[in-house]
Amino acid sequence: MKLITCLLGLTFAITALAEDQKVIYQYKKYEKFDLGNMEVKGQLIAPGDISVRERERKRFEMDLYTRGDFDPFIEKDIDTLR
Amino acid sequence: MKEILLVLILIVSFPLWAQDPKPAANLPKPEWEKLETKKYHYSALNEFFKETYKQEISKDDLARLEELLYYTGIEILEDYDPSLLERYPTSSTRFILGRQALKNKKAKLALGYFSKIHPDHRFYPEAMLLEAQVHALEGDIKGEFISFEACWKSAEKDEAAAPSDKIKRYFRMVYEICLVNKARHHYKKQEYQEALDAYNKVPKVSYKWPYLLLEKAWVYYQMGDFNRTLGLLVTYKSPLLDTYFFPEAEYLAALAYFRLCLYEDSLVIIDQYYKFYRPRFSALEAVLKKNVNSQSYFYNLMYKEGEDLSAHKDFVHHIVTRMKKETRFSLDFNAIFKINQEMKSIAHTEKGDKRQKLLDHLAEVKSNIIAKINYNAKSDIFEFLQTVPFFSSELFKLNLEIISRKKDLVYSNKKLIADRSRGDYSNVKRSRFEMFWTFSGAFWADELGDYSLGLKSNCQTIRKEDEKTDPEEDYSGPKNDALPTAAPSEIPDAPPLTKPEEKKP
Repeated sequence: MKLITCLLGLTFAITALAEDQKVIYQYKKYEKFDLGNMEVKGQLIAPGDISVRERERKRFEMDLYTRGDFDPFIEKDIDTLR
Repeated sequence: MKEILLVLILIVSFPLWAQDPKPAANLPKPEWEKLETKKYHYSALNEFFKETYKQEISKDDLARLEELLYYTGIEILEDYDPSLLERYPTSSTRFILGRQALKNKKAKLALGYFSKIHPDHRFYPEAMLLEAQVHALEGDIKGEFISFEACWKSAEKDEAAAPSDKIKRYFRMVYEICLVNKARHHYKKQEYQEALDAYNKVPKVSYKWPYLLLEKAWVYYQMGDFNRTLGLLVTYKSPLLDTYFFPEAEYLAALAYFRLCLYEDSLVIIDQYYKFYRPRFSALEAVLKKNVNSQSYFYNLMYKEGEDLSAHKDFVHHIVTRMKKETRFSLDFNAIFKINQEMKSIAHTEKGDKRQKLLDHLAEVKSNIIAKINYNAKSDIFEFLQTVPFFSSELFKLNLEIISRKKDLVYSNKKLIADRSRGDYSNVKRSRFEMFWTFSGAFWADELGDYSLGLKSNCQTIRKEDEKTDPEEDYSGPKNDALPTAAPSEIPDAPPLTKPEEKKP
């Protein structure tokens, strides 16, 4: 009986050892920054307020025709001579 | 010493006197010579080729051929086989062959023919015009300019020596085309001031001048002087120039107004084009297309517009009148007149088979010329009509652009700086050689082509609520420091223009 109990105990112990150990990582739940307390050493060389310059909007114009040459007119003039 | 010289000259000249001056005097006259004596030049020309084609061609033959061509013109040789013309190396035949080579894009061959035309020949100026065109196609600018110079120098010389007004007019036309082609060359290279200088050398009395208004308007447009562009195009509204109507001129006027941000004026032109001209063009096209395969419809149209076109009588008349002013139609109509004269003369004096044979040949030549006139008239009219849908579509695009600009103004709660008002002298740009008079409701012939509008550019915008100008919102593009400083904010710079495009109407 003792032997059976020992064996059973061993079996349970081996099973328990065979299971992966569950590790739980826990990060800081809460951290506080006091920006007012932070200091940067140096001189102020930029404007104090944060501003964004408005960009000019790109306008897309229709591809309107402009005459680049008079080549057809040259051919026409030659043809109309005779 | 003098006596010895005289004796020597006499001795040398004796053998020359001893030679028979006319070895072939006893031979019978060839048929073509008989016809030429009777002044049947067209019949003689045909007979000349028949009789000499298989013979060895002498210098005398070539000289006689040139004489015949002086009367008949060279147009009838255009249908001849080049190998036949090659056998007769005269300046006239070389001109025809060079012209054919140019049409077939054989530049070297064309240059070879043109270089062999005698500088004193009557076709030399026109040959130089064609030679300049060959050089232009080859990209040889230096050669092109040398040919232009040779063209206008020889044309001017020949004009001075021409025996009649018609021939003078022909040489003047060649001279002006050479001048204008130089201007066109500068335009293509974007050398606008040089182009303008060349255009301005063509006087207002020239046949070419009404066509040049449109070209000059484009030059001013490219220079950013939209008021001058509009002024030049207004000239077409003059009663003297009512036969000159170009869809491109309407488009350019609408575009110039658009660049000045005078959108309402632009829309008026677009509306007028769609309401007035487009239906007329469509109706005309429908009638003409029915007769597209006719061999004589367009020839007859040159004399009288058909009943099917009576609804557009004036419109057709304007188109035909403009075409009739072309040199080629004058030459062809003149040839038909001379052939008719020759046919009458033959019918009156000749008899039997010979008479019939000559008349049959002349009838054939005449029908060829009529077919040529018919073809040229047809191609002219259809080329003109084809520009209509192209500019209709461009005007449609312009219309869309105007709507888009207006929409932008509404969305940004802005409006253009001013409503449309009458022009002002301060907006007129002019050189010290250009005069200025105000327009008082009448077109004066000597003023035509010198008009400029004085419209202020309307491209600056203002906010609707505070009515202050908004310098950041200006459709006219970047500021130009070269503009007058008196009222810089009122005269915005010309808008940036897109580069010339490759599109062709």
